[in-house]
Amino acid sequence: MSATCEFQAKDYKSDLKPIWCPGCGDYSVVQGLYRALAAIGRPPHEVAFISGIGCSSRIPGYTTAYGFNTVHGRALPIAQGIKLANPDLLVLAAGGDGDGFSIGGGHIAHLIRRNIDITYIVMDNQIYGLTKGQLSPTSQKGRTTCTSPYGSLENPVNPLLYVLAYGAGFVAQASPTDLAGMAATIEEAIRYPGFAFVNVQSPCVTYGEEAQQIKGLKAISENLAAIGHNPADRLAAMDLAQHYGEKLHLGVFYKNPEPPPTYDALIRERQAQLSQGALPKERILDLFIKK
Amino acid sequence: MAARIDFAHLSLMDALDLAVLIEEEAKERYEEFAAQMDQHRTPEAAKFFRLMAVNEAKHGQELADRRSQLFGTAARTVTRAMIFDVEAPDFDEARAFMSPRQAMKAALASEVKAHAFFVAALPALKDAKVRALFEELRDEEVEHQDLVKAELAKLPPDSGLSDEDFVDEPTAQ
Ligand SMILES: Cc1ncc(C[n+]2csc(CCOP(=O)(O)OP(=O)(O)O)c2C)c(N)n1
Ligand code: SF4
Ligand SMILES: [Mg+2]
Repeated sequence: MSATCEFQAKDYKSDLKPIWCPGCGDYSVVQGLYRALAAIGRPPHEVAFISGIGCSSRIPGYTTAYGFNTVHGRALPIAQGIKLANPDLLVLAAGGDGDGFSIGGGHIAHLIRRNIDITYIVMDNQIYGLTKGQLSPTSQKGRTTCTSPYGSLENPVNPLLYVLAYGAGFVAQASPTDLAGMAATIEEAIRYPGFAFVNVQSPCVTYGEEAQQIKGLKAISENLAAIGHNPADRLAAMDLAQHYGEKLHLGVFYKNPEPPPTYDALIRERQAQLSQGALPKERILDLFIKK
Repeated sequence: MAARIDFAHLSLMDALDLAVLIEEEAKERYEEFAAQMDQHRTPEAAKFFRLMAVNEAKHGQELADRRSQLFGTAARTVTRAMIFDVEAPDFDEARAFMSPRQAMKAALASEVKAHAFFVAALPALKDAKVRALFEELRDEEVEHQDLVKAELAKLPPDSGLSDEDFVDEPTAQ
């Protein structure tokens, strides 16, 4: 583990220029992330940033961290593998609502139950942006898109309740309506020792609905700290999370005050136990050779 | 964001520092918008956003000079986290294929927003010097609006056409 030193937001900004549509909410997410990483102070080469596929999944390329723009829906298993192979890395995962809750929806549960020390940022725009505006799992019922020309018949997934129900130790929400709040929330998520989830309401200006643009979000946003929410109260968090889609609660819904050990730490412990009295590596073949 | 500032107890040094941060934030946002316009081959809008960035930087520098004359190198106690989008246009004000007129209108809306910020803060201010500074800043926002309006007036008359009338739907990334 390296010593932390002084870094500035610009140190995490790569030379690659984002090709998101002008005005896309994802620009704010990358800004918030630069600030959060600067506050954490780990050098970029000690950060691994893994994403799936989607507009939002381009984000690792815009940072100086090691990045891997993987396969649609598979950011989390790959991030998990990286964390287990090299637990000293600060591992971040990111992607869209489609990536995380549609094709990749099955993975979250397993990272949560194992409590892998990864921060997962979902840029939730309630649409498939990259593929030009199809219905996503978080799209509102009744939403008209190219794949739902008469209006969607499906209820949306509630990402906050989803991860809270699986027992995630850190669950928060942010939006570009409050950049400083977003940076602080991402920083807190990264500092949480275990699986941390941040849902960012990140408007798609090209295919998103009017109500989900910044002005609409501002009108429904409410800061959790300002309304006196206690982030140690999981049931209160679940109660508030039910309002996903109608209200935009910003800040930390839930933070386990007594974080359980992480899977990566347990694995290291188990490896240490099993290696006690084990043969040195160069004699491992002896196990298979009958004397 | 106004709620994070304790206006009643704001000192002149903190008020000047906040004013510098507000200009700095606006400058960075305009630079970012200019970069987005460059990336999407909209050079006229990029040029205008760059002009705005230069203006914000100039104003920020004037305020920073005043601050250092009055308070030297005394450590700053206010932070960027205390302000958000005061004079900077909202993130989603940028658009693909922005015309110069649209870019100018976005800037004008931001100057109006900044004016409203100073107007809203005034009643809470207790220190007479801070009040005078905020009044000055409020009035400068009107001057900034006039500058943008002057740029708007230089444009050929609005054709009434929108970008959607003659370009393809933006390609999603
Ligand atoms: C296995 C596979 N299936 C489908 C796709 C097509 N595809 C690419 S991105 C995407 C959805 C993008 O939506 P989201 O994850 O919400 O990201 P956004 O673009 O909105 O940020 C889909 C269906 C793919 N690339 N790979
Ligand atoms: S299509 Fe939507 S999500 Fe994708 S870059 Fe454009 S605005 Fe952003
Ligand atoms: Mg999406």
